[in-house]
Amino acid sequence: MAKQRTEVADIDRSLYDFSYGDSTEKLEAGLTPEIVREISEKKDEPEWMLQHRLKSLEIYRNMPTSDWGPSIAGLDMDNIVTYVKPNTDQKSDWDSLPDDVKNTFDRLGIPEAERSYLAGVGAQYDSELVYHNMQDTASRMGIVYSGIEEALHDPQWEPLIREKFMTLIPPTDHKFAALHGAVWSGGSFVYVPKDTKLDFPLQSYFRLNAKGAGQFEHTLIIVEDGADLHFIEGCSAPKYNVANLHAGAVELFVGKNAHLRYSTIENWSKNMYNLNTKRSTCDEGGSIEWVSGSFGSHVGYLYPMSILAGRKSTCTFTGITFAGTGQNLDTGCKVVLAAPETSASIETKSISKGGGVSTFRSSVVATPKAENSACSVSCQSLMLDDHSRSDTIPAMDIRCKHVDIGHEATIGRIGDDKVFYLMSRGISEEEARTMIVNGFADPVSKELPLEYAVEMNNLIKLEMEGAIG
Amino acid sequence: MGADVLNNVNAMPAPTWHRLGMNETAVELPEGLSFAAQVEVEAAAELIGEAGAFDAAVAALQERVDAARAAGPADTRAILKAVDPDVDPADLDIPALSTYEHKAARQEMANNVAEAFECGMGEQATAWLAEAAGKGAATVFAPAAGKHGQATVRIAGVDGAANVAAIDVVAPAGATFDLTVSLDSPAAGSGVVGVVLRVFAGENAHVNVTSVHTLDETWMALDDTGIVCDEGAFVTVRHRMLGAGKSYTGLATDLRGDLSRVDVDTRYLAAGQDVRDFNYIVRHRGKKTRCNIDANGALMGESKKVLRGTIDLVRGCKGAEGTERETVLLVDERVENKTIPVILCDEDDVAGNHGATIGHVAADQLFYLKCRGLSQEAAEGLFATATLEETALAVEDETVRAGVGRLAGRLGIPYQEVEG
Repeated sequence: MAKQRTEVADIDRSLYDFSYGDSTEKLEAGLTPEIVREISEKKDEPEWMLQHRLKSLEIYRNMPTSDWGPSIAGLDMDNIVTYVKPNTDQKSDWDSLPDDVKNTFDRLGIPEAERSYLAGVGAQYDSELVYHNMQDTASRMGIVYSGIEEALHDPQWEPLIREKFMTLIPPTDHKFAALHGAVWSGGSFVYVPKDTKLDFPLQSYFRLNAKGAGQFEHTLIIVEDGADLHFIEGCSAPKYNVANLHAGAVELFVGKNAHLRYSTIENWSKNMYNLNTKRSTCDEGGSIEWVSGSFGSHVGYLYPMSILAGRKSTCTFTGITFAGTGQNLDTGCKVVLAAPETSASIETKSISKGGGVSTFRSSVVATPKAENSACSVSCQSLMLDDHSRSDTIPAMDIRCKHVDIGHEATIGRIGDDKVFYLMSRGISEEEARTMIVNGFADPVSKELPLEYAVEMNNLIKLEMEGAIG
Repeated sequence: MGADVLNNVNAMPAPTWHRLGMNETAVELPEGLSFAAQVEVEAAAELIGEAGAFDAAVAALQERVDAARAAGPADTRAILKAVDPDVDPADLDIPALSTYEHKAARQEMANNVAEAFECGMGEQATAWLAEAAGKGAATVFAPAAGKHGQATVRIAGVDGAANVAAIDVVAPAGATFDLTVSLDSPAAGSGVVGVVLRVFAGENAHVNVTSVHTLDETWMALDDTGIVCDEGAFVTVRHRMLGAGKSYTGLATDLRGDLSRVDVDTRYLAAGQDVRDFNYIVRHRGKKTRCNIDANGALMGESKKVLRGTIDLVRGCKGAEGTERETVLLVDERVENKTIPVILCDEDDVAGNHGATIGHVAADQLFYLKCRGLSQEAAEGLFATATLEETALAVEDETVRAGVGRLAGRLGIPYQEVEG
C-alpha cells in the first residue's frame, strides 16, 4: 500500500458560520456621491465629515488598484452594499437587543467574555454599533470608550476627533483607505487619560452579517502620556456565495511613555475581501504591541504599521496567518524607525495548506533620525502540503548609519527528524504533527488572553487524519 | 543609438509597495552614445564555439524536460486552475492570484526552458546590451566535454560610447570553465561599459564566473547574466562591484536539472554618490538543487544601494535548499541602503532561508579592534581594504589587479599590492 501523506484539516468554521437573518435597512449597492451623502445624512454628521467623505470618494475613483498583491477582480463594488443598518439602535444592555442580534453575539461568546474579564465591550453588527458598555470603574478613571459616531456628536470630543481622524491613514494612502474615508460607518473611540492604567482589556467585536455587504468601521484610540491599555478586536462573518468586503481602519495614538497592546483575531468567512488598514504612532518612550491572527477571508491585505516617532519608542509585532483552500492572504507589517534609540521586534508565522496562498510582506524603514535604533524581523512559514504556496517579501530601507537591522526568514515543511524524534518516544505520527504545528503557533497564542488563545486554538483546530504507513 | 532610458531594469519577480522604490529601476543612459564593440578576449582558440551553441544546448535540454513531464502525474492544483482564462474571478474556491503568482503558474504549465530563460536585468536591458555588443557578435566559449578551459574578457571604457561584450558559455557534460570578466576604465572619459552573459552548464559541468568592476565614477556599468543548469551542474559567480558611478547588476539562474547548484559571492563598495543596483533571481526547478547567495558590502559617502534577491522554489524542486545572506556596513551618515531578500515557495519539501544584517561594525568586534588600538573609522576602513585586497588575491589577471589598485588610489583606501 502506498504511503499517504498525513493531512491537516482546514479550520472548523461552524462556530462562526451562522446567521439569524438579515438586517432591515440597506442602501443601494454601489458607490455614488448620493450614497455617500445619504450615509452622512443618516448620521447627522458635521459638514467637515461630509466633505471628507466626498473628497475620499474622488480619491477612490482616481486611484488605481494595487498591482502587487492578490487579485481583487472578483470584487465588484457595484454589487457591494456599503451601508446596512441593523434593526436596532445602540444599547448598553444585551437583553434590550433584538433576538437575532443578541443570539448572534451570545453564540460568539461576547456577553460571557464581558462578564468574565473585560472592562468594556463594543459590538458592531453590519454598519452600526448595536451594543456599547463599560464598567463603572473604568468610567470613574476618566476613560472614554464609546462609539466613534457618538463621540463625534459630543462637543467635548468632536474637536479631538477632527484633529486626529484619518491623519495616520490618509485617504490618499491607498484605494481602499479612500473607500473607507468615503463610506466609513461605526467603530469605536477610546480615550485613556494621562497616567491611567486599565487592568482589564476593552474589546470591540465586528460582525458582518449581511450578504454582499461591506463593513467599514473606524477605530480611533488615544492613549495619553503614561497611560496603559489593552484593546482586543474580534471579527467574524457567516459564509455566503458572493463577495463581502471589509475595509476598516484603525488609528492608534500612543503618548509619551504610554503603552498600548492591540490584539486582533480576524476571522472572516471565506467569501470576504479583507482590505483592512491599521496604523499607530508612538511618542517618546511609548510602546505599541500588536498581536495579530489572520484567519478566514478569500483575499486578505493586512499590514499593521508602527511609526516610532519619539525617542526610545518601541514596537513589537507578533502575528500568525493561516491560509487554507481558496484563500490568498497577504499579511505582514510595516515599521518606521523615525527617532533615535527606537526599537522594533517582529515575529510572524504563516501556515499554508489545501492550495491556499500565504504571503508575508513587510517593510522596515529607518530614517536619518533613527540613530542607535534597532529592528529584528523573524518570519517562519510552514507548508503543510505540496499544492499550497508561501512567499516572503520583506523590504528594508535603511538611511541611518548607527542602526542594527536584522532579518531572518525560513520556509519549509514539518521536518521528518522532528516527527521521528516524537514518534520514537511513543507518540503517533498524527499526534506528533499536531504537536509540532501547535508549537509553531504557540508564540502567538501565548500572547493572547487565555480565552482568546482558546479561541485561536479552536480556529486552528488541526485535525490529523489520513492513513499512515 | 537605441533607447535613452531602459525601463523595468532589475525588476523583482514579485513586486511590493511601489512607494519603497525597490521593485525595479529605470536606467538613464548618457546622451549620444555610440556603440564601440572594443572587447579584448584572451582564450585558447579551441575554446571558441559556434554561434547558436547556447540555443542548441537549451533545445536539447527541453527534449529531456518534456519527456520527464510526460512521465509524471498530471498537475491538478487549484493554483493552476486560477490561470484558466475561462475561470470566473468571483469563484471563491480558487485562490485569487497576484500578477506574479499568475505568471509563475503559467510558466509552470508551459515548462519551456527557452521561454523561461531570462537575464537578471530584464528584457529591455538585455536586448539593448545585445544590440550594443553588435548583432550576432557574441563570443561563444565552448570547452570540450570533460575538459577544462579558461578565458578572460576585458571591456574597457570608450569615451562617449557604450562598450559592451556579449558572451555565451556552453559547458558540456563534465567540462569545467573559468571566465573572468573585467569592466575597467584605464583612461579618462565617460560612457557605458557592459556585458551580457549567457551560461549553459551541462550535466555535471562546473563553470566559474568572476566579474570585476573597477570603473571610475564617470562610468556606468551594466552587468547582465542568465544561467541555465542541467543535472548536477555547478556554477559559481563572484561579483566584485567595486567601482563605477552607477552600476546595475542582474543575474538570473534556472536550476533546471536535479542536483544542480549556484553559488553567488558578491562584494561591493560604493563611495561618493555611487549607485549600486543588484537583482539576483534563482529559480529552483530541479530536485535537490542548491543555491547560496552571499553579499557583503560597504557604503560610504552619499552612496545608494539596492539589493533584490529572489529565491524561487518552484513546485517539483523537492529537496531543494536556497540560502541568501547579506551583510552591509554603513560607513557614513548619508548613505541609503535598500535590501529585499525574497523567498517564493510553491513546494513543501524544501528549505528556504534568508537573513540580512545592516548597520555598523558590531559592538563586540569593534571592542576587539579598539583594544588593539584601532578607531572605529580605521575598523571600517579595514573592511574596504579587505574587499579590494581579497579581489586582487582572487583574480590572477594583471590588468584586473591594476584596475583594483587604481580604484583604491582614487577612493583613498589603504591598499597593498598582493600576490595572487
